[in-house]
This record gives sequence, structure tokens and C-alpha cells, in this order.
Amino acid sequence: MIADNWGFVAAAYGLTALVLLLYWRRLAKRERELEALNQQPHAPRR
Amino acid sequence: MVRTLGWLTAVGLLVGLVMAFGVAPREVTQGNVQRIMYVHVPLILASYVAFGVLALASIVYLVRRDAAADRVAHASGEVGVLFVGLGIATGSIWGKPTWGTWWTWDARLTSVAILFVMYLGYLLLRGSIDDPERAARYSAVLGIVAALDIPLVHFSVYWWRTLHQPPSLMKPGGFTGSTSILWPLLVNLLAFMLLYAYFVARRVRVLRAEAEAAA
Repeated sequence: MIADNWGFVAAAYGLTALVLLLYWRRLAKRERELEALNQQPHAPRR
Repeated sequence: MVRTLGWLTAVGLLVGLVMAFGVAPREVTQGNVQRIMYVHVPLILASYVAFGVLALASIVYLVRRDAAADRVAHASGEVGVLFVGLGIATGSIWGKPTWGTWWTWDARLTSVAILFVMYLGYLLLRGSIDDPERAARYSAVLGIVAALDIPLVHFSVYWWRTLHQPPSLMKPGGFTGSTSILWPLLVNLLAFMLLYAYFVARRVRVLRAEAEAAA
């Protein structure tokens, strides 16, 4: 009988899900920051 | 458009998970650990696409000096590095119970490690040059040269004696296994291609906003 090694399966899927989720959150955060920055009114010129 | 792509990707990944764990059978020789294939193979194939798109966008940039093409190349490179890094990690996790080792310097693993390092170098090169035009030009050249490693990675299992198995999908004569394995693999491949497109679309949007903020 072959061992199922579910721990390795969980590690592979878990690591992938975690890294992809972190990258997605990083993109969303950066997008919000830039949106706020680009919407700021320019200071009036003297 | 990007939001729709995001939802399509989420549905695709969810269906892919159901297919990998609910539809695909327990493999006869490896047992359930073989289910890692449904995430490992799509990650690697999507990274090939990412680096192919990077090379094409780099050629377009060098010919037309189009900033949009450079942004696509940059975004595709970043997502490609993420995917190939995860592909190496999941392959290593799969290798331990099946080969008895996390890593071995055979032709496939070595060539894919070189691919990862070259594109990591591509991103570092971009980040190390202040002038955006010069960064785009130099990295475009590196992006085109680095793409030459993609066929080397793919065909390494035929050209050298390796521990790594031959390709499952992209091989002469096509897929020869059971359809109960093929469909979950194809659905996951589609899901990861959608994820690649979604990430690139969002990264391009961020790069455009960064350029606007810097202007």
C-alpha cells in the first residue's frame, strides 16, 4: 500500500494559495495608494 | 473588464480544486501525493507563457519604443518569476516523497533554476537603473536572451538522462494518460492562465499609475 503523504499535498497547495493571496493583496494595496495619490489636488501655484 | 477576469479566475481556480480533489482519481503508483501535479504543471506552463509574452513585448518595445509594451513585459516578468518560483517549490515538495529528495541537480531542475535566476536578474536589473528608458531598453534585451532557456528547460528531459519525468501534456503524440487525469489538468491549466492574465492586467494598471504619479 502506498503512503498518501497528505501533508506534502497540503504543503504544496497551502504554500501556493498563501503566496498568490499575498501577491494579490500587495497589488490591491499599491493600487489603492496610487489612486489616492493621483487624485490629490495639486497645490495652487503662487 | 479586469474585475470580470478576476471573478472568472476565482471560479476557474475553485473548479480546478474540485477537479483535482473530487474528480481526479488516486494515482496507482504514487498515491494521493500525485495531486500536486494539478498545481505544479499549470504553474510551470503558465510561467513559460509569461516569459514568452515578456520576450514578445520586449521586441515590440525595442522596435516601437512603446511604453505600454514595456509595462506588459515588466508585469509579465514579475508574474512569471512568482509562478516559476512556486513551480519549483511545489515540485520540490512533490519530489521528497516520490524521489526521496527535495532537490537534485539533474538537467530539468538545473535548467529551471537557471530560468528562475535569470528572470530574477531581469527584475533586479529593472529596479537598479533609475532612468526608465534605459531600464526598459537593457531589460528588453535581457528578456529576449533569457527566453532562449525556455526550450532548454522543456526539452532537457529528452536531451539528457534526468530523474524528472517527461512532459505530461506538451509531448509528441499528446497526452497518453487517462481522461480522468487529463480533464482536471486542463481545467487547472486554464485557471492558472486566467490567473496569469488577471495578475498581469492589474500589475500593468499599477505600473501605469506609478508612471502618472512620477510625471
